[in-house]
Amino acid sequence: MNGIRQIWRVACYEWFDALRSRRALVVLLLYMTAAVCTMHWSINLLHRMEKELATMLQLPQSEQAGVVSTALWKSKQFQRIMKNVTQNDLVLRDLTGKHPVELIYAWFAFFYTPMLVVLVAGNRIAEDIGSGAVRYVIFRTSRACWSVGKFAGQVIMIGLALLLSGIGAYAVAKYRLAGSGTPDLLLNILQWSLRAWIYSIPYLGLAMGLSHLTRSASKATIMGIIAITFCFVISIVIRHFTTDDGWRAYLPYLGVLVPDDHKMYLWRSAAAPLATGFTYLVTLGFCYLLAGYAFFRKRDV
Amino acid sequence: MFYAIETKDLVKRYGSRKALDGLTLSVPRFAVMGLVGANGAGKTTWMMSVAGFLRITSGSVNLLNEGPFNPAAHCGRVTILPQDSELPLESRPQELLTHYGLLQGLTHQAAADSAASMLKEVHLGDRINSPIRALSHGMRKRVMIAQCFIGHPEVVLLDEPLSGLDPREVAHMRAFITRRRGQQTIIISSHNLHDIEVMCDHIAFIEKGRTVRVATLEEVVGKDSTLVYRVAAEPADYAALAAAAPDANLSFDTEASDLVCRYDPRRFTPEDINRSLLPALLAQCDVSTVTRGDNLENAYLKNISATIT
Repeated sequence: MNGIRQIWRVACYEWFDALRSRRALVVLLLYMTAAVCTMHWSINLLHRMEKELATMLQLPQSEQAGVVSTALWKSKQFQRIMKNVTQNDLVLRDLTGKHPVELIYAWFAFFYTPMLVVLVAGNRIAEDIGSGAVRYVIFRTSRACWSVGKFAGQVIMIGLALLLSGIGAYAVAKYRLAGSGTPDLLLNILQWSLRAWIYSIPYLGLAMGLSHLTRSASKATIMGIIAITFCFVISIVIRHFTTDDGWRAYLPYLGVLVPDDHKMYLWRSAAAPLATGFTYLVTLGFCYLLAGYAFFRKRDV
Repeated sequence: MFYAIETKDLVKRYGSRKALDGLTLSVPRFAVMGLVGANGAGKTTWMMSVAGFLRITSGSVNLLNEGPFNPAAHCGRVTILPQDSELPLESRPQELLTHYGLLQGLTHQAAADSAASMLKEVHLGDRINSPIRALSHGMRKRVMIAQCFIGHPEVVLLDEPLSGLDPREVAHMRAFITRRRGQQTIIISSHNLHDIEVMCDHIAFIEKGRTVRVATLEEVVGKDSTLVYRVAAEPADYAALAAAAPDANLSFDTEASDLVCRYDPRRFTPEDINRSLLPALLAQCDVSTVTRGDNLENAYLKNISATIT
């Protein structure tokens, strides 16, 4: 009980301190701006396509983007085409039930979260070890509580970044896209923020686990970038080079270690795959963190 | 005797180099002990080992009779001012020290009160909400000292606490630490022997990762067995002096122009020696001061040279 209280205190302070760190603040603002800009550009693209379509069909053009797309997205014919393309009723049902804005935001959040994590959190532990700040804490609480607390603090920090980016994206959509100002859409976008948040946990574990291994903040960030690139490459290799026989048949087992391989669970709507994805990803995050902590536990600080 | 810290045969290796080479040192409870030694003698390594920052190669540490450092047992009871360690730069002193107090198990109110009073004590009452980044080196050092005394810990380890402070703050911090004598066990590592002499009641000389001597300050400087006469010139007739105090050992420190008289405290009091020696000395030269005990610097150099030779 005392350990949990200590972790919570370290986490709260870490979050508070990270919020004040210039670097984290800059990355957070950049991420929010990127979410808003992505949404803005995506809507521009959508509007241009709609205008071209209206010109070709000699229909009156709408001033706001999204009128044609929303109608098209909901039409039975379009859904029939999508079914033929995806060949998967479950994914089709899950995706075609969503508003295009949700999907644009979801793509953005899932694609950029690993980089956000590495840039915001990748150096936090190494920085404290390098500067000696850790020495003021670890005689007041255990190294384990400190590590987990720092991790939890960054989980909260990333959650905040995703929440704000979701709200920003919604604000742009509401202003730019016809029929997008509903509270339901906001809630749905925030749901995607939540899913991206879960997806960020293994990357946080990876980046902060690696951060235990060095005293240099910049080295820790570089190690984090290399690690997420490595994960990305592995997931591509698994997807494209797996065969039914020979050593390549074993490639999918590597997927267990890569967050990207469990991502699709989070794109589903049903509770069961979501729960499976959550369990996998959170466990993976803690395993990465634990591996880094195992080294830190024994090291001189 | 109850020892706050007992370390036995501590060895800490960095590759082939031994930073601690079988260092044995016990610190009595409520003592203010000064660690004195050359650069690289092992003082910082010893402190870091006691605080659990370093994994020792061999040997044993017994902290407050509860084994080696363990946060579950020692949290809030042992604190340290580590050398060359920065505080989090974006933090504010008041909130940082409150956070540390909370981690030590204090209630929020007690932690905030303790933080405020310690910051006031180190003359930072007007900077409690300034970012650490905006504080000068000396001010940061004072925050570092203040964090050691949050929640009145039983053992406080201070590594070079007064380096980087201005003379007024040095005097203030010396008084601050001296006031804590008999209430907390404080271990101070410093190269400034005058500071050590003023603040400490126990001394440990450490050289090459080993303990050379551990004793009370009075024993080390020979307060009960040494009289130092500061004279205008070296006495010419040593035979007359030896005749006046036949059982004393006399030597002359040319650099300080001191006549040092060592005697057996079981047989003589300082007054006995002074009564017989001073008239004989005055007959030969002027005497400006008479002091009981040598200064720590001389005592240290004597001990170290005896060890080296």
